[in-house]
Formats: sequence, C-alpha cells, structure tokens
Amino acid sequence: MIRAEGVEKWYPNGFHALRGASLTVNRGEVVVIMGPSGSGKSTFIRTFNALEDFQKGSITVDGLALSNDVRQIDAIRREVGMVFQQFNLFPHLSVLENLTLAPVLVRKRPRAEVEQQAMALLERVGIAEQAEKFPGQLSGGQQQRVAIARALCMEPRILLFDEPTSSLDPEMVREVLDVIQALAAEAITMVVVTHEVRFARQVAHRVVLMDEGVVVEQAAPEAFFTAPRHERTQRFLEQIL
Amino acid sequence: MGTPSFAAKRLPVAALLPLKRLRAQLAPTVADGLLSLGLLALIAWAAVQLFGWAIGRADWAVLQLNSMLLLVGRYPLAEQWRLWLLGGLLAAQAGLSWGLLRAWPRADRREQGQLWPRHDRIAVVVIILLALLLPAGLRLAGPLQGRWGLLAAVLLALRWAAGRWAADHWGGRLHRRGLKLLGLLWPLLYLLGFWLIGGGLGLAAVAPGDWGGLLLTVVMASFAMALSFPLGVLLALGRRSSLPVLRWGSVAYIEFIRGAPLITLLFIGQNILGFLLPAGMSPDRVWRAAWVLTLFAAAYLAEAVRSGLAAVPRGQLEAARSLGLNQAQALVTVVIPQALRVALPTMVGQFIALVQDTTLLSLIGLLDLLGMARGIMANPEFLGHSSELYLVLAVLYWSCCAALGLGSRALERRLDPRNLAGSP
Repeated sequence: MIRAEGVEKWYPNGFHALRGASLTVNRGEVVVIMGPSGSGKSTFIRTFNALEDFQKGSITVDGLALSNDVRQIDAIRREVGMVFQQFNLFPHLSVLENLTLAPVLVRKRPRAEVEQQAMALLERVGIAEQAEKFPGQLSGGQQQRVAIARALCMEPRILLFDEPTSSLDPEMVREVLDVIQALAAEAITMVVVTHEVRFARQVAHRVVLMDEGVVVEQAAPEAFFTAPRHERTQRFLEQIL
Repeated sequence: MGTPSFAAKRLPVAALLPLKRLRAQLAPTVADGLLSLGLLALIAWAAVQLFGWAIGRADWAVLQLNSMLLLVGRYPLAEQWRLWLLGGLLAAQAGLSWGLLRAWPRADRREQGQLWPRHDRIAVVVIILLALLLPAGLRLAGPLQGRWGLLAAVLLALRWAAGRWAADHWGGRLHRRGLKLLGLLWPLLYLLGFWLIGGGLGLAAVAPGDWGGLLLTVVMASFAMALSFPLGVLLALGRRSSLPVLRWGSVAYIEFIRGAPLITLLFIGQNILGFLLPAGMSPDRVWRAAWVLTLFAAAYLAEAVRSGLAAVPRGQLEAARSLGLNQAQALVTVVIPQALRVALPTMVGQFIALVQDTTLLSLIGLLDLLGMARGIMANPEFLGHSSELYLVLAVLYWSCCAALGLGSRALERRLDPRNLAGSP
C-alpha cells in the first residue's frame, strides 16, 4: 500500500529531518512507528499524504507515485485519511458537518446519504448524540473520536495517525485507543505514530523505531519489545519502559 | 454558563431599595459620590443648554425647507416616487429579516425565542418616534409625513408577521428556506435599488450627477463596502500566496494605498482613473469617486483579513487538505470563514471609517450629505443656521455608524463558537 524508499527531507531552515527513511506498509497491516522526539516520525508519515514535501527518494501510495502533480496529490489524499495530534476539527462546523464536508464536496455524494453514513460512524465511535454540537463543546477524547470518524467518512484505504493521544488527558487516552483498536480489527491499513507501548503490543503487526531521520529497526511487537536487535532500540526501550 | 454567576453578583444590588441601590452604584464612597454629582451636574447643564437652544434660538426651518435636498439632493421631483418605492421595499425587507431572525435561540440570552425581547421594544419605540414625531415636529408637508409613517408601518407590520411565522416554524424546513431566501433577497434588492435610482430599462435615466445628499452617501458607502470586501479578501490571500508575483503585487498595492491620503487618491481618480478602467465604467465623476473609495477601502480590509487569516491555525488547512479538499475548497469552506469571524470587528471598524470618509467627496465637488449641507449653508436665505445643519449631519452620520457597530456586535455574538449550539 505504501512504499517509501530513501526519503530525505530538509526543512527550509536547513534542518535535515529525514535522512533516507524507508518503509513498506502492506494492505491490511497496522504499523506503529515509535522513536524519540525529533526523530522525524511525524515528518515521515506526513510525507505519505504530501503535507510535507521531500527532496530525495520516492514514495508510492496505493500504486500512485507522490510527485509535484497537484492532481495526483489530491487523488492520494482522498484515499489516505489522517488523524492529528491536535484533532484539527473545524470549529465553525457542527460535528455532523465536520464529517459530511469532504464526502459531499470532494466525492460529490448526495448529502442525505452521507449524513446517514456519518451518523452510523458517530454511532460506532460512541458519540452519535453529539452530532449537532460544535467541536468546542466536546472533551478532547470526544473530539479525537470525531476526528477519526471524519477521516473514516471519506472511506480511505489507508489511515495515518500522528500521535493521536499525545494531547489528551490521561483518562481519555483509553477511549480513543479503543476506537483505533476496533478499526485495526477490521483490516484497515494503518500507520500509527504513538508512544503507547501497550497499544503497540496489542494492535500492531509490526513496530518500527525511527531515530535521526532513518528507520532503525522494524519487527513484530513481541520481538521488538522483548528482543530488540539494535543498540539504539534497546536504549529507547530502556527510557520508556 | 456565565449567566447564573452574573445574576448572583447582581442580585444583592437589585434587591435593595431603589434609593439605596442608586447610592450603591453612584456613591459607594464620598469621593465617588462627589465625582458622580459633578458629572451629573455637568451633563444636566449641557442638556439644558442644548435643549434651550434647540427649541429657542435654533431655527429648524432650514431643515423643514431642505429635507428632501438633504435626503436625495437634486434628484428630479417627478422621479422621486422611485426612491419612496425603494424605501418601502427596504423597510419591508428589513422587517422581514428582523422578524425571521428574531426568535433565534441563543446560548447567551435568557429571553430565548421571545417574540418581542426588550431591545426590540426599544427599537420599535425609536422607530415610531423617528417616523411620526420627527416629521411632525419639523412640520414637513402632510404627504411627506404620511410617507414616513407608511414606511415605519410596513417595517413594523412585517416584523410582527414574520416574527409570528418564524416562532411557529422555528428550525423547520420552511424556516431554513426562508433564511436562505433572505441571503438571496438582499443582493437582489441591492441591484433593484440601483435600477430604481439610476433608471434605464424602461425607467427614465437619472444621471449620477443628480444623486445627492444622504442618498449619494449611502450609495457610495454601500457600493464601496460591497465591492471592497471581496477585493480585500483576494488581496489578503494574494499577500500570503506562494507565487512571488502575486505576493509582491498585493504588498505593493496595499502599501501604496495605505501610504497615500484618500483625498489625494480622490483627486488622482478624478484625473487619471478615467484612463485605467474599462470604457463603460470611466466617464462619470461619481462612479470614478466610488471606484477610488472601493480600491482605497480594499487595501485596509486586506490587512484586516490578513490578521484574521494569521489567526487560523495551520492545522485547519492541513486537516482540510488531508481530507482531499483542494486549496480553493479548503480556503472557502474552512479557512476564510474562520478568518472573517476573527477579522469582523476590525473590518466593521474600516467600514465605519469608510462611511466617514465619504465626506471627503464634498471636497471634490460631489453633493453628498456634507456637500449638500454646505451648499444649503452657502444660500444667503439660510445664513447663520449652520449649527442646526451640522447637528443634524452629526446625528445622521452617527446613526449610520452606530447601526454598523450594533449589527457587527450582534453578528459577532451569533458567530461566536460558544453561541453556535442552537443555530439552525
């Protein structure tokens, strides 16, 4: 589904954020990316839907090569949903409108049909009764669940999660992870950047460690957490476990 | 949520006897009391002086004789029915909008859904006073008095009828349709207004040079507002564009306009703009001035919008783009609505400045409200009555600007995300 090879990125200020990062994500696979802050993991998954550009290497998403072609990028973004650390719900639209905006505008689907689907999705993430409220009236955990439903409403083939629980109060982390875990059981292709070890162990098919802009190690969760091969992974695990 | 604590704070004062309450508010300490007393005396003295002048020495004949001149300038008498008709349509539309929007349930109001909230009752009294007592007090001709009364009657009747209807159909499909229709009716009425004022298409043409007084002021100000708004948004977007030509072009334009006094631009416009604009737009002096006003206001609006755009978090655009919206869709549906809400107070400030800037038109020889008044003062017949005229002018300009300010604050409250809960 995603094939990134030797991706290098420099920020305009000269910072070398990605130094030849490579990763392949297969259909239906759940990949968790971990790593110390500043290791480039967020930047890396943001290149998958072209929120960040890159200077060297290549990325193919669902058979489409990422290039500067705006239409190609829009086509990829339609198939790749993203959930952000800061939720990024649209505060001037109701919860329901947050979900229906893109399918109606981008996929040109009839509003009534999309609203029905959106209500079903809200039901699934457990906040159907908040559909007419505005994001500002919801808790962080509820907002993040709306954000997940919003991404799902576009029926993406791939979901990217950029630290989905990092700005949540501790008691709300669980409700969001439960939703993501339920999605993983439905064989949606997902790439999740997170620090939640328990989640990685239970949900991931493969755990990836990034450091200093490259993928250091990738392995099945049990192997990753119990028998890391790289010294860098061992140090990282010592710090977080 | 703020209401209970607000009420709790107010309650002790409200529960006191009126006299004690007054004392608690005006004179909690001796020094405060002296200050209050002094200021009250000053206000009373000023009011007595003004009132004494207004009914004693002031001669309101200058208004009585020139009321139509101040309102519409030298607009041909035979065609003035068109303006009254437009006035009637405006009153009807205003009443309709007022009624349809009134019962809007809002989180920040206790009197939700009330048919005649307190502010509306005050407004009704003011409208009746203005429409009936003022013309009568000025001893305008009978038919004129009748027309003003009729305008007020149309306005209030439709306010009543639409308010009743909206209360019955609140939030329903019909009401939503009605609100949508309003958004369409206002621009339509605006275009219709230009047709009625300017003529053509079956109506006798009235050259812009014959428009004057309040009519010209309102036409100029509203035209400049309506067109400078989209222009300002485009300029603000241009200033943030990644295309260097667009960016530097916008910056150069905005900084040039903001660096030049409006009056010089108006003079330049009278001489140069004729060459720059398409042929149909250029010939008339009034339209040239209207375009200068528009282009001038656009630069200031662009800066207001830019500050609004800067206040929208980057994540909003990213979220919209990651959902597959293209740049234009993301801007129109996600970024610009939020930016405009932030920029609204500044923008209305610019609009208020724009209304006042229209007085400069009198300096390039147009007969706007101020120009007309100066013309009347120059008439030997009315020599020595400039105070009366200036006072009326001040009140008229103040009314226009206050209306803008009130409307803006109402809109701000309505667009505040915290109050969005119950909107249809």
